[in-house]
Amino acid sequence: MAYPYVSDVEVRVISKYFGDPAHRRIDTYVERGGYKALEKALTLEPDGVTDEIKASGLRGRGGAGFPTGIKWSFMPKEPTRPHYLLCNADESEPGTFKDRELMRWDPHQLIEGCLIGAYAIRAQHVYIYCRGEFFEVNQILARAVEDAYMKGYAGEDILGTGTTIDITIHQGAGAYICGEETGLMSSLEGDRGEPRVKPPFPAAVGVFGMPSTINNVETLAAVPHIVLNGGEWYRQWGTEKSPGTKLFCVSGHVRKPGNYELPLGFPLIDLIENVCGGIRDGNQLKAVIPGGSSVPLINAEDARKCELDYEGCVEVGTMLGCASVIVMDHKADIVKQIRRMVDFYAHESCGQCTPCREGSAWTARILRRIEEGQGTEEDLDTLMGMTEQMVGTTICVLSDSVAAPVQSSINKFRGDYLELIRRGEQAGVA
Amino acid sequence: MSDVPLKNPGWAGNTGEFDLTEEEVRGEDFIGERPLHGGHSSVSATMPYMLIEKNPEAELFEGEYQERLKKILTRYPKKRAALLPVLSMVQELRGHVSPESMDRVAELLDLSPAYVRGVATFYTMYNKRPVGRHLVQVCTNISCNLCGADEVLAAFLECTSTELGETSEDGDFTVIEAECLAACGFPTCVQINSRYFENVTPADIPKIVEHLRAQVKKGD
Ligand SMILES: Cc1cc2nc3c(=O)[nH]c(=O)nc-3n(C[C@H](O)[C@H](O)[C@H](O)COP(=O)(O)O)c2cc1C
Ligand code: SF4
Ligand code: FES
Repeated sequence: MAYPYVSDVEVRVISKYFGDPAHRRIDTYVERGGYKALEKALTLEPDGVTDEIKASGLRGRGGAGFPTGIKWSFMPKEPTRPHYLLCNADESEPGTFKDRELMRWDPHQLIEGCLIGAYAIRAQHVYIYCRGEFFEVNQILARAVEDAYMKGYAGEDILGTGTTIDITIHQGAGAYICGEETGLMSSLEGDRGEPRVKPPFPAAVGVFGMPSTINNVETLAAVPHIVLNGGEWYRQWGTEKSPGTKLFCVSGHVRKPGNYELPLGFPLIDLIENVCGGIRDGNQLKAVIPGGSSVPLINAEDARKCELDYEGCVEVGTMLGCASVIVMDHKADIVKQIRRMVDFYAHESCGQCTPCREGSAWTARILRRIEEGQGTEEDLDTLMGMTEQMVGTTICVLSDSVAAPVQSSINKFRGDYLELIRRGEQAGVA
Repeated sequence: MSDVPLKNPGWAGNTGEFDLTEEEVRGEDFIGERPLHGGHSSVSATMPYMLIEKNPEAELFEGEYQERLKKILTRYPKKRAALLPVLSMVQELRGHVSPESMDRVAELLDLSPAYVRGVATFYTMYNKRPVGRHLVQVCTNISCNLCGADEVLAAFLECTSTELGETSEDGDFTVIEAECLAACGFPTCVQINSRYFENVTPADIPKIVEHLRAQVKKGD
């Protein structure tokens, strides 16, 4: 059962049934032990469930890596108002393709995680905010939610315990910024997906003005396994600070791209050369973006030293993000790819903050000029100066995500930029 | 839906070491037909279809669609939260969201027309003007781009004889660039109406376009 590739070094906890179409059916899922974790959770106090997640050290898989149990414990203990759990299924970070696979191969695992999470934070309603483009995924998920209601795992009086938890799938309509947690809340309320200033934090004032917690699909998918087997069990993989397993979405110039579930702390170079079969066409490794388009890119030398956990990535000047490993070989045109990414951010900026709106548009323009052979060396200084002002000055971190690829590529691959600039100058003289 | 299955010559799984059919990967046999009334209210806000034949004059919120609308409204504490699903329903029927449709939606949800316009224009999936029967969206973002997405886009434009963003004369195709579709390990990813085509190379495109044309002829 290999979809599309597997490797024997993988530890398949949440991706165990990728490639097994039967697993979408609720009967198969239950036969294989599904919904046992929900049963167990409902016998515990909500805080008991949160404690188990805390003990596991599970960290948010949506990019920021914040400890999930701690996030849950910020929710009020005595609900006087409705609480909401929001599942962030808006996956749109370039390079990331794990949540889609989690939902289409194992929808019930996510639903079970959502129900347990809602119980732990005392929420009676879960919204799964699913990316609008995912028609197929939405339909798979919709069928699974209907089945969960029919069998009494969702809705009123779950499994006769008196607990009520509703699930609603809400389909987005195409806007990357709705993946940002407060942007998602604005969007769910029927507004433009504009992020909001924090504080107040969602646990105090979230969607519809009520206490809310937001978690990524992969985070919630791990929850049933931890509840069933205990927090300590999850710590057998990974490192002290980054425990557990993580899906790595590998794309770009490797022979076998795809999703691989590996213990955190796995060496990046091992992932590329062994798990993914190495660089295609026998080419040389040039650069890697290890965490999705929003994190700094690193060169081959740093890639050889990089361990894939939250701390290990910081050590080589980048971030784990959502573990979307984009691999580039020596023929890759770095300037063009960075320009393409900045075009993306300029397009997706919601426009509320001037540094982000203006900065991303201008950065894209200067990069295009360089790409077309009309740049100068001063342009590089302008780019560095301008992107510096885009960091830490805005409502959300989309603006910082523009600076990361631009600054890191100029620092690590200045030669690529200079070559384009020189070539342009020579053509101009001739 | 068509009884001529629309085969993807380079679908998500024809790389790799496995033996599944395309239908199994897509979950088609599991999903089956989705009812127009939206099924259980928990899932009624998910769009079941993106229709090939668009009718800009179609009646809105009638019959089964009205049933779906009622279910959607039960799922949110505030009426306004139904705005995105309702706009999606309009597009499902009419193929795009016209100013007149937005006004209808505004009235229905007690919002100002300007507010609805402000929201509708924020989201890329709402077509503000009519598009072809097949809306071809080629991802040209980084992972696909590294693997030749620009050539795939060019080949689609050539094969459908259109300019970027323009609709072909016969009304069959509109080809546009898309941002990352979250299928980066299967480049190039192309979304055509509600379906993803993956691992698409320029060589596949005549075959895909031929399939799409055949679908239109069948009056699907
Ligand atoms: C611009 C931007 C886009 C984001 N997109 C996503 C996304 O598509 N999916 C996601 O899970 N998190 C996304 N995040 C992170 C969320 O804001 C949030 O941190 C996450 O959903 C929290 O869940 P976790 O704690 O389980 O990781 C995005 C953040 C930013 C700033
Ligand atoms: S940083 Fe950019 S995307 Fe984020 S709120 Fe400001 S303008 Fe919008
Ligand atoms: S970059 Fe094309 S699908 Fe992600």
